[in-house]
Amino acid sequence: MDGGRRSFLAAVAAGTGLFLSYGLFAAYAVSFLFPPPVRRRPRRLFLGRQTDFRPGEARALVDDRGRTLLVIADGGTLTAFDTRCPHLGCQVHWEPKEARFVCPCHLGMFDRNGVAFAGPPAAAHQALTRVPLDVDAVSGTVFLRSDA
Amino acid sequence: MRERLRRFFAASFPVDWDQLRALGAEPVPHHLKHWWWCLGGTPLYLFIVQVATGILLTLYYVPDPSGAYESVAHITRDVRFGWYIRSLHKWSATLMIAAVFLHMLRVFFTGAYRWPRQLNWCVGTALLATTLGFGFTGYSLVYEQLSFWGATVAANLVEAVPLVGHPAALLMRGGAEVSGNTLTRFFVFHIGLFPTVMLVLLFLHILLIRLHGVTEFEFPREQVAPAERTFPFWPHHATTELAIGVLLMYVLTILALTLPAGLGPKANPQVTPMHIHPEWYFYFSFRLLKLTSLRTSVYLTLALGLGLMGWPFLEDALHRWLRMPRDASVVVGVLGFGAFLVLTVWESLAG
Repeated sequence: MDGGRRSFLAAVAAGTGLFLSYGLFAAYAVSFLFPPPVRRRPRRLFLGRQTDFRPGEARALVDDRGRTLLVIADGGTLTAFDTRCPHLGCQVHWEPKEARFVCPCHLGMFDRNGVAFAGPPAAAHQALTRVPLDVDAVSGTVFLRSDA
Repeated sequence: MRERLRRFFAASFPVDWDQLRALGAEPVPHHLKHWWWCLGGTPLYLFIVQVATGILLTLYYVPDPSGAYESVAHITRDVRFGWYIRSLHKWSATLMIAAVFLHMLRVFFTGAYRWPRQLNWCVGTALLATTLGFGFTGYSLVYEQLSFWGATVAANLVEAVPLVGHPAALLMRGGAEVSGNTLTRFFVFHIGLFPTVMLVLLFLHILLIRLHGVTEFEFPREQVAPAERTFPFWPHHATTELAIGVLLMYVLTILALTLPAGLGPKANPQVTPMHIHPEWYFYFSFRLLKLTSLRTSVYLTLALGLGLMGWPFLEDALHRWLRMPRDASVVVGVLGFGAFLVLTVWESLAG
């Protein structure tokens, strides 16, 4: 009985020791594999004046997060799109003649509003991400809100 | 002196040489006298070539986005015989994948995966997955446009896997986006993790082959005397494998000379090129992604992978519960491999 209790306590002690040492190491190692999320402050990026954009013009730029954006001047309004295809992350190309975005990877196509109408993104009812723009009513300056 | 050396080694390595000799002389079936039945050793030989050339390439390769492409260009253009070593690495990878496919086809269509060798089939499919992982990460390390976008697509594809997709994609990319971390991780997977997994799986695969013995085939037209039904592994079969190895080295050198590993434009994370395609062994998956929605592609690929790995058990279950004849596996294999071929050829013609 005494021996049974002793071996039980020894097994508990050994198990606890193993759990605390290797278990803790394993938990920390798994956590180590996942990099901490990057914290970004909301920012406004100056794009220019509204009058700088000619009608029908599409201007590509890279924002502070490294995203490639396309600002399209259409009928007096400016729209900014994140050019990453929502399907698998390739960069879409803007085709001004057809007024559409084409993804070269799996042939997804998006209309001028960024809504998919062909290829796998259309099957999944996906759209390009719009990036909000602020237009100052008085000065006509355009800012990109990069908190989105 | 010679006797002293012999005694020194005998004392240092207390091995029973007779037992070792008996192990080496394991009887293997007669059909292995034909080289075309010896495809199992080919991937192993090509893996050894990969390890040797890979170690050499690592001496110059820089696993960082700012220097990866330039280091590959340096290896290819400036380092003495760098083009040769890199081409050997590339072609042995390509041939290794083809050899694994052929070996698996042979095992499948001869029914050699059946009881009691089901577990070894599972290990074999894990070896195929590891080989494909090697191919994918190795291709990404070049850091040219096609390889960069291939890595981006694959990393985002993993995200769509149910349950484990998100953490697996984070783990693979080293963050929410494909970045410098991704290249470092692919490098670590390619030269550290996958070789370790490969060695463990190879050990298990060969151990199980040794424990079960090679499946014996009988051919109606071939009359084999009972005494000749088997022959010793060492030296006969080992010599055949060696001859295949020499032939492979010639083939690799000819391929390196005639079709050396090239280098496309450097990766540009801002622009995806208009014509993009992965390496040939992922053509089927790439075409599937064009034909179906992301979710369907992922579920189909998962089902195919799990179905392939668990086929020996699935076949048993179908036979027991639905009275499926065993020969129906041949039809399943033809349809499965046929679909793989059609999608691969379709993508290559469209590309």
